[in-house]
Amino acid sequence: MLEFDCSLRQGHFSLEVAFSAPSPGVTALFGRSGAGKSTVVSLLSGLLAAARGRIVLEGTVLFDSAAGVNVPAEHRAVGCVFQDARLFPHLDVRHNLEYGLRRVRGRQAPIRFDAVVDLLGLAALLARRIRELSGGERQRVALGRALLAQPRLLLLDEPLASLDAERRDEVLPYLERLREQLGIPIVYVSHDFDEVLRLAEHLVLLDRGRIVASGPLREMCLSEELHAIVGASVIGSVLEGIADRIDAAERLATIRCDELSLRVALAQIEPGSRVRLYVPADDVLIALEPPRHVSARNILSVEITRLEILNGSVLVHLAVAGTTLLARITHSAVRELDLKAGKRCFALVKAVAAQGRRFDRRAVGP
Amino acid sequence: MRTVSAPILAALAALTLALVSASAETAPPPPLTVFAAASLSDAVAELAARYERDTKRSVRLSFASTSTLARQIENGAGADVFLSADEEWMAYLDERRLIAAGTWIRPIGNRLVMVAPTDRARAVELSKGFDLLALLGDGRLSTGDPVHVPAGRYAQQALEYFSVWDIAEPRLTRAENVRTALALVERGEAPLGIVYATDARASKSVRVVAEFPAASHEAIRYSFAVVSGHDRGGARELLAQFTSPDALEVFGKYGFVIP
Amino acid sequence: MFTPDEWQALRISLEVAARSVALSLPFAIAVAWLLARRPFFGRTLLDAAFHLPLVLPPVVVGYFLLLIFGSRGPIGAWLSEHFGLRLVFTTSGAALATAVMSFPLVVRAIRLSMENIDPGLEAAARTLGARGWDRFFSITLPLSLPGILAGGIVAFSASLGEFGAVITFVSNIPGETRTLSLALYTAIQTPDGDVAAVRIAALSVSLGLAGLLLSEWLARFARRRLGP
Repeated sequence: MLEFDCSLRQGHFSLEVAFSAPSPGVTALFGRSGAGKSTVVSLLSGLLAAARGRIVLEGTVLFDSAAGVNVPAEHRAVGCVFQDARLFPHLDVRHNLEYGLRRVRGRQAPIRFDAVVDLLGLAALLARRIRELSGGERQRVALGRALLAQPRLLLLDEPLASLDAERRDEVLPYLERLREQLGIPIVYVSHDFDEVLRLAEHLVLLDRGRIVASGPLREMCLSEELHAIVGASVIGSVLEGIADRIDAAERLATIRCDELSLRVALAQIEPGSRVRLYVPADDVLIALEPPRHVSARNILSVEITRLEILNGSVLVHLAVAGTTLLARITHSAVRELDLKAGKRCFALVKAVAAQGRRFDRRAVGP
Repeated sequence: MRTVSAPILAALAALTLALVSASAETAPPPPLTVFAAASLSDAVAELAARYERDTKRSVRLSFASTSTLARQIENGAGADVFLSADEEWMAYLDERRLIAAGTWIRPIGNRLVMVAPTDRARAVELSKGFDLLALLGDGRLSTGDPVHVPAGRYAQQALEYFSVWDIAEPRLTRAENVRTALALVERGEAPLGIVYATDARASKSVRVVAEFPAASHEAIRYSFAVVSGHDRGGARELLAQFTSPDALEVFGKYGFVIP
Repeated sequence: MFTPDEWQALRISLEVAARSVALSLPFAIAVAWLLARRPFFGRTLLDAAFHLPLVLPPVVVGYFLLLIFGSRGPIGAWLSEHFGLRLVFTTSGAALATAVMSFPLVVRAIRLSMENIDPGLEAAARTLGARGWDRFFSITLPLSLPGILAGGIVAFSASLGEFGAVITFVSNIPGETRTLSLALYTAIQTPDGDVAAVRIAALSVSLGLAGLLLSEWLARFARRRLGP
């Protein structure tokens, strides 16, 4: 468990942030540029000291302004992966990886070299010089290097921000693997919501140096504060469930989230695996009667719990089987269908619209 | 740009012309350049000052090792008069027809002495094969470079005379000129040095610990001459002044030998 | 082709240059590091002080060395008393003179290299557990190598050409301090010394060319190993 409560002032920018991140687990720090995300990372790593505050990691006090405690960065065992990788150019990949490992001194070193090389697919790169690596390869090496330093907390500060789409897609699966296997808390900073959707369990929303909202990702997706920050087209709901039935011929999977079953275009999945679904609000239609002969594979009986007014559209919160879906429609539609809280209607969700990914949590290791 | 009016231009032109012609009329004669051996520094500086007072003619002085100066003259340096610490270098220039005919004279001499820093000066007994090494300890013997500096040559001759040259040779400082050799002893960098008597006299930081007998070395005779091609414009007159009875008195005051 | 004296002058030149590099590099690295960090009180003054040999006439520098490191100078007397080390008339002294003269340029070369190191790398090293000196030896120093190499080359070449400071501080002792420059100077004073002078000059030029080629090769080697 990570407890963070710090405030500082840098010129015109002032930061006052308090949150806790569970362990294990990925906590995303999300917000616009300049919100203070990187500052929080610097405070956590020890590269920056707050004017006032307290940082406690698994019971160890890393910073406490009142008690005059400020553990220097080199003693905090907080691993960092930076946006610009920061690999040491005079060392080859192997020696970069080993850099932190060699400095572990008395501590235990359960995260082993071969395991990390395996996890991140670095075997072929070990003898290479840094300048020969692509952007994606560099970030994987940076990740491996940070892991091998046996961190008690892993910070990733926009690690994919400087990569092009192709490289990002190359690296993301490794991060997902990391999430599954690492037993320590991970704080993931990003301004890209897609990365957050794929990796985070908890979300801390920052804006102008303050926490606007925080909580489990599922709940946060429904929050107004988040909707105000992300683009309207990104808004959607997150559901987690188990893959029930796979229909390989149709390339459809049935995901059961508690009492709700959704048919989703997701063929490469094993029955029984945990899945996280993301249903964009733009892809949910509302009908007063169940339509016939329609392409959508999911027609759900729902109840409207809330109408949230956005800029130029309306976000309808739909309760179904213990969970919530979001639908973004026009004011005109709301008027015409006379939608209001409490009304029962039907939600249409296309199988291809729901984005699903395996989202396992298997804490391997201590 | 406004045009300057004609009358003003004319006035400026007239003024400029006047100034130029005025300076041309009262232009002083060009200064005379004297190249003199380092050991003559003090005496010649005094004589030059007198000369400037008397004739209102400025004199430029350059003091260095005789060897340095001779080679500079050989390479065309603009000296008018050359005051050398030995005959060899004057002969060197003469062979190359670099001195004005009939101007070579040998007006003064010097003596060779051994010196030590004042706070460590103990009289030295000069005898054949005297224990120079013991006197030097792990220090060096400060002399001019015997290869080209006159004072160094005289020192070599003296050391050979006393049969200690072989011992001394690897321990020499080989300074660029006799004044540098003196300075090394003054600063205590060298426990002993061989310089002219006049140099020892000029310095408060060294004391003479032995005098080399005249027989131990070639006679130290300074050679003065006018550099060829610089025979007009007062060089001879200056030389005459520097060797006049009054001048010789000044040299004598500094300890030079007046034959 | 060359006389034993001339070979000796060459040997002395190389020895003085090598010692000069060995002497100045550690101090230059330390000073460069100090000046490359965040500004501190007095940094500008310190920077100016270390640049003095660049603007002073070499003979003046030689004279100051004499005052400080001569047999009666504060440091010279101390060295002589406690270590039996004498600097005047010795190769070591000549090396000191040339090291002092070239120091500002060496510091500049190294400092430039250090300032070009991404400070993010040091931050990354900290998060990986590297403490102060560790970071200096594992990150700063290796990445400053191009600058250190350049500094070493500068120190070496400047040393070969140094004259005024050497002759003023340690005199012109054959076999100890008579480098090629000083040997050339002596040849110029010597009767009929022109032939020898030309030979020594030719030797100096060859040495200079060889040095330039070597430095070029070293620079390329450094670029290959440490390029971005």
